[in-house]
Amino acid sequence: MYRIRFHGRGGQGMKTASRILSNAFFLGGYEVQDAPRYGAERRGAPIFAYVRAAKQPINERGIINRPDLVIVADDSLVAIPAAGVLQGIGPQTVLMINSHEAARTWEERLNVPGQVLILPVTEEVEDRAELPFLGTTCAGAAARLIGIIPLEHLQQAIRDELAHLGTEIVEKNLQQAAEAYELAAEYAGKVIEGTEISAQDYAKPEWIDMPFEVASISAPTIHTGLTSELAATGTWRTMRPVIDYQLCNRCWWVCSEFCPDGAITVDDEGYPQIDLDQCKGCMICVAQCPPHAIEAVAESVAQLAEATEATEATEAVGDKS
Amino acid sequence: MTETAFRRMKDLPSTRLLGTGTPMCAGCGGLLALHEIYDILGEKTVFINAAGCMTLLSVYPFTPFRGSWLYTSMASAPAGAQGVRDALDILLEQKRISADEDLQTVVLTGDGSAYGMGLSATSGAIDRNLDFLYICYDNEGYGNTGQQFSEATPHAAKTSTSSGPRGFPGFKKDLFDIWAANRPAYVATVIGTEPLDLARKIEKAKNMKGPRLIIALAPCPTGWDYDPKETVEIGKLAVKTGVWPLKEYIDGKVVHTKIPRQRKPVEEYLQKQGRFAHLFKPERNEKLLAEIQQRIDVYWEGISNE
Repeated sequence: MYRIRFHGRGGQGMKTASRILSNAFFLGGYEVQDAPRYGAERRGAPIFAYVRAAKQPINERGIINRPDLVIVADDSLVAIPAAGVLQGIGPQTVLMINSHEAARTWEERLNVPGQVLILPVTEEVEDRAELPFLGTTCAGAAARLIGIIPLEHLQQAIRDELAHLGTEIVEKNLQQAAEAYELAAEYAGKVIEGTEISAQDYAKPEWIDMPFEVASISAPTIHTGLTSELAATGTWRTMRPVIDYQLCNRCWWVCSEFCPDGAITVDDEGYPQIDLDQCKGCMICVAQCPPHAIEAVAESVAQLAEATEATEATEAVGDKS
Repeated sequence: MTETAFRRMKDLPSTRLLGTGTPMCAGCGGLLALHEIYDILGEKTVFINAAGCMTLLSVYPFTPFRGSWLYTSMASAPAGAQGVRDALDILLEQKRISADEDLQTVVLTGDGSAYGMGLSATSGAIDRNLDFLYICYDNEGYGNTGQQFSEATPHAAKTSTSSGPRGFPGFKKDLFDIWAANRPAYVATVIGTEPLDLARKIEKAKNMKGPRLIIALAPCPTGWDYDPKETVEIGKLAVKTGVWPLKEYIDGKVVHTKIPRQRKPVEEYLQKQGRFAHLFKPERNEKLLAEIQQRIDVYWEGISNE
């Protein structure tokens, strides 16, 4: 049985990718299962979708714990434990990441037993997470990696899934998928079909036994407000707003007021301060700032700049001592 | 006009009472209105929230509120508010809480509940002269479940249940007039992108007794299909094109609080949203565009500041 997981952010088309891939399997005579996993619909939040395909009836249910192939549309998700990208990666797993960085870098960084590949693209772009038609691109690459899906089945699946979007969009997606399929040729058949997992071999999760407590201890009550601030929604962001304080007019009643999340506070001097742990990256502040003092910077670029700055600071300290 | 503490944008509160870290979409126009409203209402509030996007605000163990919150089914938030108000009144009467500890009872629902399922309960609450504040965040569809059309969906909008070439065949229900016809103490329309107008109305409502009802148009990047950074721009256009009239019902009279001096053509508003894209592509649907424009023009005929 083939077990495939697609990881991305809501809106990047991973649900569509899983539907296209399972449909393509189906056209080749496979039994299939596909399902997306997300909470309430929200763009930007980490989501995943998964596909099972086998020549025999599929009796497995639920999330895939031992994937044969994991595709990551947005490399900023890899480091987020809650996104579960690395869950269950074994020696047989192929991990394909949509990233600027080299496979080798990721291999060393992650130290996972599987094989790491980078999603091949015709032309490098500034922000990989913003690649157009990312869903079909990932589906196309996945189909080729699996090796037993012919291009015609992939194309038919795209026509079936995207017909409601009109012929123009279908054509663009077909072209994109064919390109991804072609670019992944060198990895054709890298993904090996996983073995059946017998229910008898099922290893129970390591439960932690929780004794029953009296209701006054165990009942879910909250006696304190603002606990939502513990949930770091800053991980949703692919673009980061950066304020140039030289240009800032201190008209906080624009940016701070219009931030839907209240993630822009106002300091004693009237300067806005963006809480990057919480900013979801909607970019309303960038669009509304009267003197254009807020710039949208790709999150990957901003993080790299931060890392460089930190290294330089450490080196500077080192020089002094 | 009555005195207001909010004469200029600078007078708006600069501290944020609503917590960050909510699961609302990036660029949510409903959350924008809610945080502005909460900043004015203050902490002495209890929210009664009908099922919808915003019931995700308080998912155990997280809450962005500073006080209590109660979850009800879609149809019964005003009934829930009656129970909460009664309980508070009993506590006050028995002197178990002081007048200083009393709370403002605030119903919070989306348009699915306000325009549809919860309308009967709202009508009953107004009839009983319940002392409460109703806030409807109106994103013109059942946003939490994938934007199916609701009674608040505008004519011709594409939703997941009206995806044909002419979009939604029905018309947005006039909830403002329906509520006002029940003769409550106060009814107003607001939008988060006009914070000064919103602040003045909430300030007014806060200091009144009886049923007070507010509809906040909530631009919705997910359901209306546009880039989240456009939320404020689209909200401003809703007012400038006359699509969303800002008004209030008070002392039996309807007053428009912001009349666009020179209304922009409605297509400037429609063009920015994917849900209206079929009106422009593959070719412009002149007839439908003219129809939508005409309905707005008819509304504004004869409306002045008097």
